[in-house]
Amino acid sequence: MPDFTDLTPLAPWREIKATEAERAALDPKTGLTMLTQMSLIRVFEEKVLELAAQGLVHGPAHSAIGQEGGAVGSALALRPGDQVNGSHRAHHQFLAKALSYVAQQGLDPAGPFAADIRALSKRTLAEILGLAQGFCKGRGGSMHLRWQESGNLGTNAIVGGGVPMAAGAAWAHLRAGTGNVVYTYFGDGATNIGSVLETMNLAAAWKLPLCFFIENNRYAVSTNVGEVTAETRLSARGLGFGIPAFKVDGMDALSVRLASEEANAIMRAGDGPVIIEADVYRYFHQNGALPGSAFGYRSKEEEADWRARDPIDALARLLGERQIIGAEAVAALRLRCQQMMDEIASELIETHEGKKHIVPALWPEESFVDYGLRGDLSEMAGARYLEADAVAGPVAENVKFIDIVADVMERRMAGDDRIVVMGEDVHRLKGGTNGATRGLSQAYPDRCLGTPIAENAFTGVAAGMAADGRVRPVVEFMYPDFMWVAADQVFNQIGKFRHMFGGESPMPLVLRTKVAMGTGYGSQHSMDPAGIFATSPGWRIVAPSTPHDYIGLMNAALRCDDPVLVIEHVDLYNSRGPVPAGDLDYCIPLGKARVVREGARLTVLTYLAMVGKTRQVVEEMGIDAEIVDLRSLDRAGLDWETIEASVRKTNNVLIVEQGALGTSYGGMLADEVQRRLFDDLDQPVLRVTGGEASPSISKALEAAACARAGDVAAGLRAAMAGQGLPVAG
Amino acid sequence: MAVDILLPSMSAGMEDAVIARWLVTVGERVAKGQPLAEVETDKATMELEAEAEGIVGALSVAEGRRADVGQCIAVLLAEGESAPQAGAPAPVSAPAPVSAPAALAVQDPVVSGASPVAPAAPSDAVGQGRARISPVARRMAAAAGIALDGIAGSGPRGRIVKLDIARRLAGGPARSEPLAAPEPAAPAAPASGRSAVPPGIGPYTAQPVTNLRRVIARRLAEAKQSVPHFYLSADCELDALVALRAQVNEGRDKAQRISVNDFIVKACARALRQVPEANVIWHGDEILHLADVDISVAVATGGGLLTPILRGADRMSLGTLSAEMKALAERARAGKLRPDEYQGGGFSVSNLGMYGVKTFSAIINPPQSCILAVGAAERRPVGRGESIVLAEVMSITLSVDHRSVDGALGARLLAAIREGIEAPMSLLL
Repeated sequence: MPDFTDLTPLAPWREIKATEAERAALDPKTGLTMLTQMSLIRVFEEKVLELAAQGLVHGPAHSAIGQEGGAVGSALALRPGDQVNGSHRAHHQFLAKALSYVAQQGLDPAGPFAADIRALSKRTLAEILGLAQGFCKGRGGSMHLRWQESGNLGTNAIVGGGVPMAAGAAWAHLRAGTGNVVYTYFGDGATNIGSVLETMNLAAAWKLPLCFFIENNRYAVSTNVGEVTAETRLSARGLGFGIPAFKVDGMDALSVRLASEEANAIMRAGDGPVIIEADVYRYFHQNGALPGSAFGYRSKEEEADWRARDPIDALARLLGERQIIGAEAVAALRLRCQQMMDEIASELIETHEGKKHIVPALWPEESFVDYGLRGDLSEMAGARYLEADAVAGPVAENVKFIDIVADVMERRMAGDDRIVVMGEDVHRLKGGTNGATRGLSQAYPDRCLGTPIAENAFTGVAAGMAADGRVRPVVEFMYPDFMWVAADQVFNQIGKFRHMFGGESPMPLVLRTKVAMGTGYGSQHSMDPAGIFATSPGWRIVAPSTPHDYIGLMNAALRCDDPVLVIEHVDLYNSRGPVPAGDLDYCIPLGKARVVREGARLTVLTYLAMVGKTRQVVEEMGIDAEIVDLRSLDRAGLDWETIEASVRKTNNVLIVEQGALGTSYGGMLADEVQRRLFDDLDQPVLRVTGGEASPSISKALEAAACARAGDVAAGLRAAMAGQGLPVAG
Repeated sequence: MAVDILLPSMSAGMEDAVIARWLVTVGERVAKGQPLAEVETDKATMELEAEAEGIVGALSVAEGRRADVGQCIAVLLAEGESAPQAGAPAPVSAPAPVSAPAALAVQDPVVSGASPVAPAAPSDAVGQGRARISPVARRMAAAAGIALDGIAGSGPRGRIVKLDIARRLAGGPARSEPLAAPEPAAPAAPASGRSAVPPGIGPYTAQPVTNLRRVIARRLAEAKQSVPHFYLSADCELDALVALRAQVNEGRDKAQRISVNDFIVKACARALRQVPEANVIWHGDEILHLADVDISVAVATGGGLLTPILRGADRMSLGTLSAEMKALAERARAGKLRPDEYQGGGFSVSNLGMYGVKTFSAIINPPQSCILAVGAAERRPVGRGESIVLAEVMSITLSVDHRSVDGALGARLLAAIREGIEAPMSLLL
């Protein structure tokens, strides 16, 4: 038998419970505030369920009735500058943090509620009902509650989706040195999803002041925690990552508060993240006013056992035993809460011909539907723009594209310490795999972050940084295809963030990636991401084809308050071109195309590495074609002034792109062109694309899968033949 | 399977051509590579070869008629096929009997070859009765009030495209219209762009404009409107030249005699070598100084003026120059010039002396900078010291593009030309 040596985890894992002495020592004011908060939240949630039962809540009403102890116990341990986010079931956490922020001196269960408590309740209910006066103007509803001022970063309908973003906020606090912490609340169901586990790893590695607060209510909808994981004591997740973890009875708000105070001490001391697992129970089903037992996945007996441990009753008993508040006062508190919520509801809901309706005037205007999908670019005011043909001063000829990539970033980082570069290996290998971040880790070691190979988590961390506002992250995807790995953060979180939370929240994030078609990296590393990003909401996209344009477009991207995808191409990295000598500070407008070559017979719309290739073929064939380098590719960035002027002249359009047909960019563009310019077209919009399949590693197959010169030539021939001017040969 | 022979683009920018002559007849078997037709393009006549073997099923464009690039000009059939009957209604309008599809489905299309012409594709059947026309062409036609009947589209599957409407607007004879059909007396709609026949001109016959004529018209109109011409004239005494010519032609075959014009062209070539600053082309932001002396010489042909080029004329002996000129003129009159024989040149000579024209000013042949107009030689009184004598005198006029050649430079060039003509021995060196 071999020798065994017991190994112990790096960090402790402990259950924590208030002692009788601590219960006896509970400060009455804290206890009463806790009781009042839980009562307000309980009644608020009952009102939501009542309205849901009347069909007045559009969408799900995920109630947290029964779980108030965890939210209130932890939120009351937070400072106003601390922050929280949560998941689809977060009304209680949102309200607990907001109430703690609004009533920083505590709440009196006997007195009338202050106007700001009432206003908070009303704006929250209005948001859940989808009304214009809600915190997110009715956009977010029940599952997307954000009130940044109060420290509520925004709740999330993707299980685990908000967790990386909370880590980003924690990074911003750590760097700012404020000692503030972030709590990210999620349920037992989320402990099995990658974004949570990836973020645990990353937060521990970077010592982020982040509390992973697990509300273990035992059921992911109807699936019991024991069915889907072997270690049902979910705080054990911390053992694998070196994160200290506490397990606590979530029905006991006082114990939760103690656990939070322990956690906060660790985090504020700079010792990194903490896990708190609070055992709680939701009395009702996933959503709506029926108990879970009605759906057969648990028993009435189980529900009765948990209800017997109700957190409000438990605290009221303790306060009663200590003669701080009597049963009648507790009942009166509940009644006042109900009166307030009835009044608020009556202001939002009217009865017409015996039926209840939302007061029609309270809905958002329909014209608001797309408002705030992106910002208004007012942040670009004062930018100095410089096009290549307008350079007046000395010019540096033959400057290498890849050198410009690193140089412009270093220049911006020197002048703006909000900028943080992050990605896989960006801090090593003399500037990552291609040299794009050369010199940055030496010059700014604390702002050039080599990440774990966990695209979803580090992208989400960047999103959290950007939402915070004190950081402007620049994320690198080594290959565009990794966007699928990070898809939730890229598309559900970053792209939708501003719009979903009401249209006013900036998301100043730059995502760099390089198209690598032609390098033999095969099916999972060779896509052009433009089409997917252009058909997803919220992203701006630029694709510089020259060193000059790269400087200007990267500067514009870094100045912009919206997420901007900057697409690079390996074929361009070694290309050279002129740039203004010593000038790395100008911008190129987002939304401005460049006519590369004028022509009368055909408009060729293209971008990135295909600009040069197309020009070469056009000139070899002697076609009288106008080539437009689109440069800005997103819907808002398409330069219709330039495109329309060209098409009205030539009446013929060929869209040239290198990548695969299915995820292509040209499909979207062709649709826009034909809808806007149908009466100016002399033939259908023609397209050059790669094949249907993703490019293979085999050099021959890869070449055949990507659009190349011969495909461009064939496209040009078709475009000329289609207007009655076939080209010989 | 019947194959449509479409008129290909045979030179850069070619949009249409005239089928000068068919070299095959309907029913004739042709081999791959066999010449099918002589096609007259802007300035040249070329042979169109068959791309595959087959039997000529139809010649769709009559000799002497214009066809657009991409237009079907003939049909080649496979063995055993017969030509589609022109003008016969397509058998698509009558719906097939209800039972027909199943029966058709099991028929072997080869065995059932009673109907050798493949049935129209369903999409074509749907399209019957509705003109295929691109959106912009439809809009242009509507704005100009042009009916679409009779316009054969140049686009895929006969789609009428912008080019077809533009051609109609430009007044080109529509292919399907009878040539002599007189225009209605009412003035044409002004928006049509096609100029109305001037009122009160009485009976007339309309002659279709050939490609060559259209090119000449366009280029000369452009030159006269856009090139700032100025003109320099001089008189040259020819007695020495006439005497020398008689001397060099002595004993020469009549067909190989050196003409006065050959001397003049040679004098121009020598002058351009002496004054190279005038051997230039205006090219927007730059002036191109030409290394070679290439002279375009105007040749009248039945179809219009052609300007074949004597390349390196300054390096040619007079005899070579003369022989070369005769060969070029002959090919020009036969319409057999190759594009490289008429495209380019740095200077032009136009001589109307043989028609007794005393003096004239020529229009510059763009993008060249100068053209020399040569009048007739005649005996005129000239001053010799204190006396007046009769001498053989010829007037020449140099038209100059002021953008590239200033007055003094032009005058130097003209003086050099005159010097060569008046001292012709220098041309033999």
